[in-house]
Amino acid sequence: MEPASRLDHNHELSIKDFPYIVRWRDDRCKRCGRCTAVCPMLSIEPAVVVKRVVQSEGLTPEPKAVRYTTTMVKQTTNIERYCIGCGTCTLVCPNEAIEPEYNPRHKFNFHKNKGGHPYRRGGRRNDPMPSTLDRLRFTRISMLTDPALDAGRHEFRIRTYLGRILPAEELPVIMVNGKLEVDKTSGKFIPPVREIYPVMIGSMSIGALSPTMWEGLAMGITYLNEVEGMPVVMCSGEGGMPHRLLKSRFLKYFIPQIASGYFGWDEIVRALPHMIEDPCAIEIKYGQGAKPGDGGLLMAHKVLKLISEIRGVPMGVDLPSPPTHQTQYSIEESVAKMIQSMSMAWGFRVPVYPKISGTRTAKAVLNNLVRNPYAAGLSIDGEDGGTGAAYNVSMDTMGHPIASNIRDCYHDLVAQGKQNELPLIASGGIGKKGNLAANAAALFMLGASAVSIGKYIMQAAAGCFGDEMNRCNVCNLGKCPRGITTQDPKLYRRLDPDVVAERVVEVYKSLDIELKKIFAPMGRSTELPIGMSDGIGTDDHAIAERLHISYVC
Amino acid sequence: MKKTTIKGNIKGNRTPSRIFEEEIQDAVRNGARDLQVIADGQHGIGGRIWPRGEGIKITVEGPVGQRLGSMGMFGTEIVINGSVSDDAGWINCGAKITVLGDVTNGAHNAAAQGILYVQGGGGARCDTMTKHNPRFDPPQSWYFRDVGDTFAEFKAGGIAVVCGVDPRNPENILGYRPCVGMVGGAVYFRGPIQGYSAGDVQLLELTDQDWQWLTENMKPYLEAIERIEYYDELTRSKDTWKKLIPFTAQERAKKKAFKMSITDFRNNIWETGVGKGGIFAEYLGHPSTVLPYVTTGEDRRYRPVWNNYKYAPPCEHACPSGIPTQKRAQLIREGKLKEALQLVLQYSPLPASVCGEICPNLCMQSCTRAQVDTPFNVRELGKASVDLKLPKREKKTGRKVAVIGGGPGGLSAAWQLALKGHDVDLYEAAEKLGGKLELCIPRERMPQEILQKELSRFEEIGVKVHLGAIVNRKSFDDIYKKHDAVVVACGAHKPRMMNVHGSDDMVSAYDFLKGINIGDVPNMKDKRVVVIGAGNVGMDVAAQAYHCGAKEVTAVDIQKPAAFGKELEIAQALGTKIVWPKFTDKFVKKEKKIYFTDGSSLDADVVVISIGDTPLTEFLPPSVHTNKQGWIEADEAGHTSDPKVFAIGDATKLGLVTHAIGHGRKSADAIHALLSGRSYYMPAPKPMVAYDKIKTSYYDICKGEPFKPRTEATRCMSCAVCRDCHMCEATCYYGAISRKDTPDGSYEYVVDENLCIGCSFCAGICPCGVWEMVENI
Repeated sequence: MEPASRLDHNHELSIKDFPYIVRWRDDRCKRCGRCTAVCPMLSIEPAVVVKRVVQSEGLTPEPKAVRYTTTMVKQTTNIERYCIGCGTCTLVCPNEAIEPEYNPRHKFNFHKNKGGHPYRRGGRRNDPMPSTLDRLRFTRISMLTDPALDAGRHEFRIRTYLGRILPAEELPVIMVNGKLEVDKTSGKFIPPVREIYPVMIGSMSIGALSPTMWEGLAMGITYLNEVEGMPVVMCSGEGGMPHRLLKSRFLKYFIPQIASGYFGWDEIVRALPHMIEDPCAIEIKYGQGAKPGDGGLLMAHKVLKLISEIRGVPMGVDLPSPPTHQTQYSIEESVAKMIQSMSMAWGFRVPVYPKISGTRTAKAVLNNLVRNPYAAGLSIDGEDGGTGAAYNVSMDTMGHPIASNIRDCYHDLVAQGKQNELPLIASGGIGKKGNLAANAAALFMLGASAVSIGKYIMQAAAGCFGDEMNRCNVCNLGKCPRGITTQDPKLYRRLDPDVVAERVVEVYKSLDIELKKIFAPMGRSTELPIGMSDGIGTDDHAIAERLHISYVC
Repeated sequence: MKKTTIKGNIKGNRTPSRIFEEEIQDAVRNGARDLQVIADGQHGIGGRIWPRGEGIKITVEGPVGQRLGSMGMFGTEIVINGSVSDDAGWINCGAKITVLGDVTNGAHNAAAQGILYVQGGGGARCDTMTKHNPRFDPPQSWYFRDVGDTFAEFKAGGIAVVCGVDPRNPENILGYRPCVGMVGGAVYFRGPIQGYSAGDVQLLELTDQDWQWLTENMKPYLEAIERIEYYDELTRSKDTWKKLIPFTAQERAKKKAFKMSITDFRNNIWETGVGKGGIFAEYLGHPSTVLPYVTTGEDRRYRPVWNNYKYAPPCEHACPSGIPTQKRAQLIREGKLKEALQLVLQYSPLPASVCGEICPNLCMQSCTRAQVDTPFNVRELGKASVDLKLPKREKKTGRKVAVIGGGPGGLSAAWQLALKGHDVDLYEAAEKLGGKLELCIPRERMPQEILQKELSRFEEIGVKVHLGAIVNRKSFDDIYKKHDAVVVACGAHKPRMMNVHGSDDMVSAYDFLKGINIGDVPNMKDKRVVVIGAGNVGMDVAAQAYHCGAKEVTAVDIQKPAAFGKELEIAQALGTKIVWPKFTDKFVKKEKKIYFTDGSSLDADVVVISIGDTPLTEFLPPSVHTNKQGWIEADEAGHTSDPKVFAIGDATKLGLVTHAIGHGRKSADAIHALLSGRSYYMPAPKPMVAYDKIKTSYYDICKGEPFKPRTEATRCMSCAVCRDCHMCEATCYYGAISRKDTPDGSYEYVVDENLCIGCSFCAGICPCGVWEMVENI
């Protein structure tokens, strides 16, 4: 190799190769260093540059060289510190002197594999195109043909059921003194059912999320339940739950998740005798839409005291959640075994359902559940879901869009006459473009009984910078500039859990109004329009055909 | 006035609403002002009558249809003897409508002016969308008993009065959820209700003005509906009445979206449920306050550290002898030229010969200044060191050290040990000191007068030199016994030969070069010479061969030749060809040909083998281990398997002269520690400062000026060492950096952490790369 002192830009990447180019304005910058102090990736750094001009003032050429050095804010070409375009610099700059700009001609994916390590990141699939959900319209305006409903004036009951609902003829009830009562002598199992708000907050773990973010969400949904009377529930994600919450009366608003790493479950089991409420439900995670077949990994640097105690692991170790449950042998066996075990833990009083990633084979899992009396539903996570950390290749190319997946499953239930018995929960890209209510309503009409949101609430409640142009998306590095996905107190203390909670409440209150604005003209005010697919249409013929909905133009 | 009667059913024939309307309008046009209407379910009776200033009274009997009095006008007075159907008084524009019975759904819907008096109660959705046009009095709706569900929705003006007498539902006289979307007007009522649209209206007591209006208007109402006997009861007490009035637009705008503030929720509900401090309080050790993005003190993510000389400047790092060139330049800048030159003798006894002549000057190859123009000229600085005064010797220790070998390594060790006050016996087998410097390096590269001048230092410093002293196994034992430590610096003199046919006919490079330097010059006129091994020694051989008259010299190697620098330049300038990869197969002296394994061959009168040398170690006792290749096993400080014996230089591993000098110095340190009864800890090598930390932009290009120490010293960029330029202090926007004198007469730059935000400007602009950002843990 040549001595370093001889080389200049050999093998150095050009700024043009990077996904974001930092536009820095010399004329506006006062060199206060706020931008360089906050840059999460240290992509921008102060530098010294020399400027030199040769002037000639006289009547004849009389060169005079003027040379001066000055400081500037420079973008690095070190790919380990690439600009992620988060714009924290822009946020703190008092002079509007700096802003990262997306570079559509970047060659990042050619280079982001230093040391032979494929590109890993957090966030979502980098696909800025509108999803199928965003291409659906509500085309049946029932108010012209049915009694008119007014979103502002009429009362709506936007609720759904989580849990298996037995058909009336199978209910073990008897008439006692003119009243229906449960026939306890029948020995029949009546599955637990929860009435919840149909838009849940999906599984994001303590660990993936910072304590401020997680508590903000938890407070927000508790507020909605306690103050607003909206039964919004939230799934814990796989990372355990704090004892204080497990032992509180608010536990009923939460869905603890168990996944392949089983993190925190010894702590949860130990807390069982101290629980004063049952949780809303239990979610068993088999897959994640954003990265099917890719497991989870909480990096050792995130495993500090908090995570260590809640998850019941030593500090400073990597915490892998394998892609599959290691002690199980087949999905059928696994699902049956896990559902029964988890049901048993709470005396069969709590609905237990699995969550899988969107897949062509979802129906196989569903059909198993249909025959399993303890299964409380099926949650399917589509490819537009988010993740805290995954390989880019898994995120961008693996998975199944949620729309047709949920539709196929619903049709499968209809074919068996079970569509009102086993709820389907849809997630993955709901509100991807900000259309939360419309996406959720479309999924209900395609057959989902409920939907789960993750990224949407992070963006809406905490101002997450991430987007489908790969902005930010460094949840995996623990450098989240907003303090959402980091365990570094210096970063997560930027996030005020009270503000997050307040935003959650605002989001849900406005979501509720928007859902009414969709349901009222369609003539629905009491029951959720699950499977009411004659209400939706699309201007894309292929989508219409695939989803069995009307083609409109 | 004549009463006109219009019948809706003539002899069993019901008149359609369209004809009935025409008949009423015709009658009014023809002057009728007192109409008696006997209806049979016709719609819209009594509306849209324009009597042009005169009043018109319509008495209605019989079953009426929907929308009685709809679009009724000022001057129209309608009295119905009995109940009416839906939407009575729809879009009332001024008519006074008195219903001596009940109204059903939607009464007075969208009324804008006029009065509706109801003797009974109202159905559902009465009084919705009533308005108040500011050009007229607001509409009034009076209900004697109660009203049905969803009363007064979207009411935008007008007054509704519900007296609550004998209500159909004694628990709720305003029905389910009244006043949704109500933005104007008022609802006065008397009696129990069960809720109202709290987001739209507020429930208040009547004011005096309200009460005055109500009592004043109550009498005509009761008279009209023939219930004047209730007057006292209804006006007995203001307190039995309440009103619902809408929030004003301003109040609405000011209204909080939250039923409870998040702070109250946290304090009163959340933390009551999960405990003080929230769900994570027991795991977190930090305050629960929110941090800004830009922080100071311990909340900074990174903090600057003034790492003066924490890293080695590239020159020092690259120099195997460890000469701190940067420090010498600094001394020159401070005007201490003599000290600067003198300093080198602490590191090398042969600066003029080595730095100034034969060293490839790794320091200069690594010099950061090369990125601007040319490296700092250490070679000239070396040459300038030929006449230095001897440094001061330490007090005699009385300890005795033997050094075997008077080459660069042995000389270095002897020099350092002598400086430290030890008695040194230096044994050299040849008749002259200098080892390979003297014996092998071509004279053109190593001027004799400089070398001899420098070698004279050793006698002066008091090293006892024993020339011609060949050490064998026996004499070694003797030396070993008589000395406290022995340094073996015998070099490598056993040429490595190849196990190929004809190798006996080859000459070793060592013998070849040594022969020339001691005066045994071979005649190589017109000879073709092949040198096997194209390293720097091979190049010296090639050059010397040309000097001896050779016609053509070819150097071959099995890999990319390792030769570089001066040696390569000289050899190539003389015409040496370098060929590789070539694996020697055999040398056939008779044919004057050397053959290679690839089938090729070269003409060769002489073949010199220059693939390295190994040491001759027969004189060493078994306690000093050698490895399989024949080298003495020794560490960086020269420690061997025998604690008293140290081995350095080429005896341990082939290297440059400067490597041997460095090795000698380090072993002297180790021996000094041993003799002083201290443990020796090998100093951890300082890592080299990263080039990109040196800000070369500050320096302008200098064009080949003649060497002068003072100007040269200003070219040194003081890598990794503070040059006290105050750039950091001046650049820091927050004034967090200041310069402080230290008690030892030196200085340091310090950071006020209460001002510093950790922006890294100091690190980014420091010319020397001294400031460094570290994680603020």
